Amino acid sequence: MDNWWLRALFSIFIWPGLLCGALFGWLLLWINRKSLAQLQGRQGPPFFQPFFDFWKLIGKKTIIPVGVSWAIFYSLPIISLFSIVFALAILPVPWGGAISFEGDLVLFIYLLEMPALIDILAGYATRSVYAQVGSTREALLTIAYNLPFLSGLIALALRLKTFQLSVFTSAPISIATVITALALFIALLAQLKVNPFSIPNAEQEIVAGIHVEYNGLPLALFELAHALEVSTLAGLIAILFLGAITAPWLKLVIFIFISILIIVLVSIIGAGTARLKVQHAFRFYWTWGLIAAVLVFMASLAL
Amino acid sequence: MPYKIPIGPLHPAYEEPYKIIVSCKGEVIEDVQVEVGFVMRSVELLTQQRNYTRDLVLVERVCGICSNVHASTFAMAVERIAGIEVPARARYIRTIVAELERLHSHLLWAGVGSEDIGYRSMFMEIYALRERIMDILETISGNRVNYAMITLGGVTRDITDPKGILEGVAEVRKTLEKVIIPIFSRDPTITARTKGIGILSKEDAIAYGTVGPLARASGIDEDVRESMPYAAYGELGFKIVVQESCDVQARVFVRALEMLEAVRLIEEALKNLPAGPIRPDETPLAIPKGEATARSEAPRGEVFYYVASDGSDTPARVKIRTPSFVNIPSVRAMVKGQYLADLPIIQASIDPCCSCTDR
Repeated sequence: MDNWWLRALFSIFIWPGLLCGALFGWLLLWINRKSLAQLQGRQGPPFFQPFFDFWKLIGKKTIIPVGVSWAIFYSLPIISLFSIVFALAILPVPWGGAISFEGDLVLFIYLLEMPALIDILAGYATRSVYAQVGSTREALLTIAYNLPFLSGLIALALRLKTFQLSVFTSAPISIATVITALALFIALLAQLKVNPFSIPNAEQEIVAGIHVEYNGLPLALFELAHALEVSTLAGLIAILFLGAITAPWLKLVIFIFISILIIVLVSIIGAGTARLKVQHAFRFYWTWGLIAAVLVFMASLAL
Repeated sequence: MPYKIPIGPLHPAYEEPYKIIVSCKGEVIEDVQVEVGFVMRSVELLTQQRNYTRDLVLVERVCGICSNVHASTFAMAVERIAGIEVPARARYIRTIVAELERLHSHLLWAGVGSEDIGYRSMFMEIYALRERIMDILETISGNRVNYAMITLGGVTRDITDPKGILEGVAEVRKTLEKVIIPIFSRDPTITARTKGIGILSKEDAIAYGTVGPLARASGIDEDVRESMPYAAYGELGFKIVVQESCDVQARVFVRALEMLEAVRLIEEALKNLPAGPIRPDETPLAIPKGEATARSEAPRGEVFYYVASDGSDTPARVKIRTPSFVNIPSVRAMVKGQYLADLPIIQASIDPCCSCTDR
């Protein structure tokens, strides 16, 4: 009993949770920024830049906008951070998976959705028109990208006849896995708000969008949650390909390699596109996302 | 319920301060209100307190991008009053500098435009090419921004190495044809952001009195270089670029084709550079009594100068009308019914220059 509690706490706070998730997220964010810079003929940030950004924000004085309750202002990023930490703790990475039960996929999806919902709330709560426009866009995008994201995960669950994530990682690689990964990758672009779907945080249109009124520690927490989101979402795709391997250290190497590959792909797409409008993004997800959804169900049930 | 979003005067999408107050319903723009005048420097008044030589330096600073065209148009007006003949070589060199300036201005615009639709890679690519043109301008004039090439009756510096400049220009042409124009015309994300966006009908374009690439993208067949050739445009044979589709994409195409035409004009002028002096031996300090106007085609459209002289060495009146001054109000006609997300690229598509507007 005690042992399980200890392992669960370890999962939440050390591996793969808060500590390692943040470090891995910062590594992925740095790779994203560096490779994007190299593709654009720029120098790019130094290795520790994501950490410096976080550390500097923590040290800043926090200013709460007039008319906004401090409780809401602080609690939103904390809820966002903890939900993504719990989501990461459920993710069955090598040497992880202490918290695992039938139906944890449902909890995982719920926890993954929280940062987006909190972002939307934060935009409306901070009473800035820029943030409100950003929130509207984020809300629309959530409806759009969840089509390929949820259908990918549900189709795979149907195929494996379980809602337990640890089965996903031990299942052998098939065409269904590859198409699911593809569907998740399409959704990932909007979930991470990168080009061509950097719509809710479009600097040239609505300044910083949702987080325009956030500063100091709460913004640092939002940034930390974003780093964890990067590692969770990239990791979610990576665990689908670990089925054939038994050695945990090799699993870890492949897990990191696939995550980095995904982030580099994200950078390449980001470097080669302009920002779309929200209605373009919606059309994209409801046509290509729908095609991916149909394909993934067909592959899961027929093959 | 409609709500109002103030955009500017300082905003990430703008190079210069001006303010647009947007009334929005959801993401759709219902109306906008444009405010200018944040960088007023009263250049017109200052010119009336300095002599003609110092005025040339001053009017060159009306605009940070199309600096040369202001000096040359002012010089044209003064030359007309004083009856100064500009030597052929000087006219060719003025044309070359004017077209190089057009190239760098259009590239700057294309870079800012790509930034406005979130295409950072294109921005970097375009600015790298623009840097080549800045190098060429520096080779010719010794300066990167205010070239100080124009003097009354001619130019201050000769082009000594036309071959070297031709090589640089050929390189620019290659990048334009191989990289920048194909991406702007074919990339699906750019097409999605520019095609059918920010329509300015021909009637509206005439009603607002728009000039330059903005008017030519709305099907108005007007270019000072063609209708009233100055410098060496008459001899070099200028071909006007007009597009009919009236949207942002048309403005992109007009500027892209104009850049190719500019490269052709520069090459033509460098190959046929006439021999002879670049400025008269002596230019008068005091200009005889009289008045004159001059028009020339700046990168953004027609620049108009009115100069009145009372016979002293200081102008009695200088009136400057810049292209952005007439183009900026047309934003209102273009954005109605468009999405808020399109506002940056629509306002950028007229290439607004606020320091010109406020002068």
